[in-house]
Amino acid sequence: MSVLGKQFRPASVLTLWRNVRVQRFVGQAAFLLLVFTVVYLLIDNMSNELDRIGVRLFPFVNGSDRFPFFSLTWDFLEQRAGFDIAESSFGRDYSANDSYRDAYITGVLNTINVSALGIVLATIIGLFVGIGRLSKNWLVSHVALAYVETFRNVPLLVQLIIWYVVVYLKLPRISDPLDLDFAVITNRGVAVPFFNTESGFGVWVIVLAAGAVVSYAVYRLRLRREESTGDPRYPGWWAIGTFLGIGAIGFLVTGLPLSGETPSIADRQVVGGFKMSPEYGALLTGLTLYTAAFIAENVRGSIQAIPKGQAEASAALGLNAFQRMRYVILPQTLRILIPPTTNQYLNLTKNSSLAFAVAFKDVFDVGRVITNQSGNAVPIVALLMVTYLSFSLLISLVMNTINSRLKWGENRR
Amino acid sequence: MSVIGVQMPERRVVVRWARENLFDGPWNTLLTIGMVSLLGFMGYSVFNFVVITADWGVVDANRQLFFVGSYPRDDFWRVWSVLYLVAGLAGFSWALWSRITFRLMFVTSLGMIPIFVLMAHEEAALLTLGALVTFAAAYTSGRTPVLQSRHRGTARNAAMLFWVMSLPVSWALLDGVPTRLWGGLLLTMVLTVFGIGIAFPFGVLLALGRASTLPVIRSFCVGFIELIRGVPLITILFMAFLLLPLAIGPERTILFGIPVTGFELDTVLRALVGIIIFSAAYLAEIVRGGLQAVPRGQTEAAKALGLGTPHILTFIVLPQALRAVIPALVGQFISLFKDTSLVLVLGLTDLLGAAQQAYTQPDFIGDQSEALFFVALLYWVVAFNMSRASQQLEKTLGVGER
Repeated sequence: MSVLGKQFRPASVLTLWRNVRVQRFVGQAAFLLLVFTVVYLLIDNMSNELDRIGVRLFPFVNGSDRFPFFSLTWDFLEQRAGFDIAESSFGRDYSANDSYRDAYITGVLNTINVSALGIVLATIIGLFVGIGRLSKNWLVSHVALAYVETFRNVPLLVQLIIWYVVVYLKLPRISDPLDLDFAVITNRGVAVPFFNTESGFGVWVIVLAAGAVVSYAVYRLRLRREESTGDPRYPGWWAIGTFLGIGAIGFLVTGLPLSGETPSIADRQVVGGFKMSPEYGALLTGLTLYTAAFIAENVRGSIQAIPKGQAEASAALGLNAFQRMRYVILPQTLRILIPPTTNQYLNLTKNSSLAFAVAFKDVFDVGRVITNQSGNAVPIVALLMVTYLSFSLLISLVMNTINSRLKWGENRR
Repeated sequence: MSVIGVQMPERRVVVRWARENLFDGPWNTLLTIGMVSLLGFMGYSVFNFVVITADWGVVDANRQLFFVGSYPRDDFWRVWSVLYLVAGLAGFSWALWSRITFRLMFVTSLGMIPIFVLMAHEEAALLTLGALVTFAAAYTSGRTPVLQSRHRGTARNAAMLFWVMSLPVSWALLDGVPTRLWGGLLLTMVLTVFGIGIAFPFGVLLALGRASTLPVIRSFCVGFIELIRGVPLITILFMAFLLLPLAIGPERTILFGIPVTGFELDTVLRALVGIIIFSAAYLAEIVRGGLQAVPRGQTEAAKALGLGTPHILTFIVLPQALRAVIPALVGQFISLFKDTSLVLVLGLTDLLGAAQQAYTQPDFIGDQSEALFFVALLYWVVAFNMSRASQQLEKTLGVGER
């Protein structure tokens, strides 16, 4: 190629034009020019229009808000928010006197809270339903099928509104609550017993960590014995027993660092325990059950993708049902399962933006309120996009790491 | 046990089947009992709600709202014309591409019956029947020996052309009424069909751009696709709603200093643009899958024959790639059909918006369950039937089996 290029130097404009490299360069330059022109025109129009109605399009730009903007400031984020957020996550303290920035962060934490719990619950339910789909029990497999087909084919937004309007808001009023002794169910929130940490909790956590290390050592030891002698040494059971034993002794020695707390109603408020507001409950239930239906299908698909011979061969080798699942089927299933499930996790996180429908203040809803109040549409939309993109990237990163670990483990053997 | 000899084996079969499938072992028996009680409870609740406690007046009084929103009664002929057009085209294409399997027919009609019964009042019953007759007539005309043997290819091309043409034609028909009056199932279907239909060429271009060797074009396409796929649809709708009228609004659109008349964009159009941007990115990823499924030898062979890139794409690669992704396209259609419910946030009266509007009417305060469950059922019927049809299609096309 390069030899040819040297021999036949472009002599005239015509040959230059026929040169593939020149063509590629000119074509891409033209494309770039087109994109920039369109973007410039759109943004220029927007600024003109907003100038006319007296709103600044890019309040985060110093000086002019015309197209070539360079330095960004986010002054308006420091203004007083002036709106309340009914609930905040991870013990965050927010009040209407805080800034827009604080409000936004509260929204981010609320999104993280509901997405993280939703992912965990959806995985568990999806796993059970997916295995249920393959059950030999006709009733179980068809109930699982009905679950999947029902929840998959109704829009999530409809489901969320149904959970909120038809279920959670129709619970008994706070003046006439359903008090089950251990749980409180009202239309102002559902509360279940939860733990309160006492002094000595930190020490107990350290003891637990040490217990985990010890029980892992026990596991390795028993496993090595089992592998060398061939006698069953039950390494898993031994490890669990060791861990529970150490945990229990530590619990007593550190002076009962956890105490259970049952919720109750005082002064027309649900106090104590783990409390879910109807908004949070509806969002979590809807997201979880919807995503679980998709995960269940992934689980079913990836179990079915394992050739039947694998199970038959391991049965022929004398492995019992648990061992077949644990050592032969599951490791192979996981590798097929993880990529589509990652997609579902991403979907769940993005879908949590539907919180507006159930009046839960997630990051999107907080952003919407800020936009309405301050009129700063562009920076807020940009901020929202960056926020969701970082969630997506984070989840992909974690799941890809897990995936490559699994692959690595497979190659090592 | 039974006196009549014929029944005995049958009963034994049932008992044996139950023993093998429901009661083998204590664990399974326990599961069965649990499931039966669960089903009994749910069946009772559903029956109790549907027959006894529910007051379906909210649905009955708002049929029109649910199906077409505020579309004026005098212009219903527009909707019916589109329905007839689609019914005719569907019947014709069905005849050309595959035989009607009885099962699919059964499932589809089972799904359509509730809609039919609901629509069936006054002249609507007759008109719906007419649409079915159109479908049957078009099917029969498509089954004529001439079209099935020698001119099948021509007929298929014509059908495809008609489908493409039907998009602008339907829009022109419906557009006699301002878009802000569109609503209900009509709006949901319009957003879905035009969302996919208009986004499709862009999706193909983006997919080709992503597969391109030109770094600038490739990175632009990758950036666009990943950005759109990384954020929720709702932020895109929100962006389209807020920024689009400012960018190309009618007020003072300026191209290189020359004032031009922009577009009047009401909420429906803004939502549609947002949906098109969104589905273009998703369609691009689907088409990319199809492009990767085409063996490299195909391109190499075409190059060896002396074809240029445009010819290779249009005659060799794209026909194979697009054929392979038809089921995935149907899947995307279904998921967009469900996702259009998000236009609620922009205050549109799509199917879900119609439900909200219905249960906030003074006459029907407190009838949320009825309106919401009815809408959920409608969504479910359409989505479920489409997904079943796509499974059938997958089998017919034999995708993934070669």
